[in-house]
Amino acid sequence: MKFSLNNLTINQKLALIIGSLGFLAVFAGSPYKGFTSTIDSEELATIVEKEVDHVPPEELAGWIITGKADYRLIDLRKESEFLEYHIPTAENIQLPSISDGQLNRTEKIILYSDGGIHSAQAWFLLKANGYKGVYILRGGLEDWKDKILFPRLPDNAPPTEVAAFEKAKLVSTFFGGSPQIGGAAASGVPAMALPKLEAPAGVQPKAGAAKKKKEGC
Amino acid sequence: MNAPFFKFGLFGDDVSLIVAFVIGIGFGFFLERAGFGSGRKLAAQFYFTDLTVFKVMFTAIITAMVGLFWLSWVGLVDLSLVYVTPTYIVPQVVGGLILGVGFVVGGYCPGTSCVAAATGKLDAFVYLGGIIVGIFVFGEVFPLVAGFYESTPMGQVTVPQHLGMPYGIMVFLVVLTAVGGFAGASWIEKKMATKVKES
Repeated sequence: MKFSLNNLTINQKLALIIGSLGFLAVFAGSPYKGFTSTIDSEELATIVEKEVDHVPPEELAGWIITGKADYRLIDLRKESEFLEYHIPTAENIQLPSISDGQLNRTEKIILYSDGGIHSAQAWFLLKANGYKGVYILRGGLEDWKDKILFPRLPDNAPPTEVAAFEKAKLVSTFFGGSPQIGGAAASGVPAMALPKLEAPAGVQPKAGAAKKKKEGC
Repeated sequence: MNAPFFKFGLFGDDVSLIVAFVIGIGFGFFLERAGFGSGRKLAAQFYFTDLTVFKVMFTAIITAMVGLFWLSWVGLVDLSLVYVTPTYIVPQVVGGLILGVGFVVGGYCPGTSCVAAATGKLDAFVYLGGIIVGIFVFGEVFPLVAGFYESTPMGQVTVPQHLGMPYGIMVFLVVLTAVGGFAGASWIEKKMATKVKES
C-alpha cells in the first residue's frame, strides 16, 4: 500500500504534526533568544525628565526602617568598597553582570553607586533589556552619606529646618551615622566615620530573593 | 506586545481576577465534557482500563510545551517572565505520592473534584470536604513540618537548565515520550478490555 497522508487517522496526523514540531525544536536553539525588547526612547526620555525613576535617600531609609521587602537594593560598586560599607539590605552586583539573570524582570530594583553615573548606566541597560521596575537612589551613596548618615544642621538655621533635623538625627542614629551641627559632630561620636557593617537593630536583612510567591496551580 | 500580559502590567489585579474566572469556567467546562467529572473514569486509569486522563493530560502538556517553545522562539511570549515554581525535591516527591494515593482512593484530583461537585456528585462533595479539612490541618501543623517543607531546595530550575542540555532536545524527548505513551496506552487499553471480557 502506498503511503499517503489521507490514509492516516486524525490521531496519527496530530502525532505527526507534534512530532515534527518537537523534532524541529532540537535545531531551533534557545527559545529565550526570541525575545527582543524595544526601546521606546520617548517613554524613557519622559521618565528621565520627570525623575519618576528616582528614589530619594530619605524614602529608602524609611523603607529600610519599616522593613519593607518588596524591592531589591543593588550596590554597583566594587566588592572591596561594598565590603567596607553598604546600605543595609543591599546586594552587590557589578555592572558587567547586571543582566545575567540574577535580577527578575518583574522585581522592583533600586540601584546605587558612589555618585549617579554608574547607576544611570545600569538603569539604561536594564530598561533596554525589558526590566520594568528599575529605580535609582537619588545622588547615590554620596547623598546617602550627606542626608542620612551625616545630616548637617547649619549654624543659624530657621526653626523649620531645626525640626526636620530632629527627625534626621533619629534616622541617622538608626543607621549608625552621626548628625553634624555646624562644623562639629553633635554627639561625641568621631565625626564622619562610616558605621560598622552590622545591620541596625530592628532591620532583618533580607535572605536574598527568598520572597514567597503564591503562584502555580 | 509579548505575553504574559499580567506580568507586563497590561492589566491589574482586578482584571486578572475576571480573566482567571473566565479561564477557570472554561477549564472546568472542558474537563467536564472530557468526562473528568466522573470519579469512575478517573480511577479507571489506575486499572489501565481507560487511559483518557493520561492522554488528555499529556496532550495538554505537550501542546503547551511546544506552543510556548515556538511562540517564544518567534518572540510572542517572553519565557523569562513565566513563573517557575521553586523546586524542593524531597518534600515535592513525598507530596506527589500523597496526592497520588489520594487520587486513587478518592477518585479525583483537587481540580476535578470541583468539576464533579459542580455537576452535583455526592462523592465530590465529600472529597471537597476532605480537601478543606486537609488544608486546615496542614495550616495548624505547619510549624512542625516547616523544616521538611523547605528542605532540599534547588531554586527555580528547569530540567534542561539542571542537566545543561539544549531546550529543544528536552522538547523533542517529551514529545517522543508522549507519542510513545499514547500508542502504548491504546495498546494496553485493548488488552485490558479483552481481559475484562474473558473474566
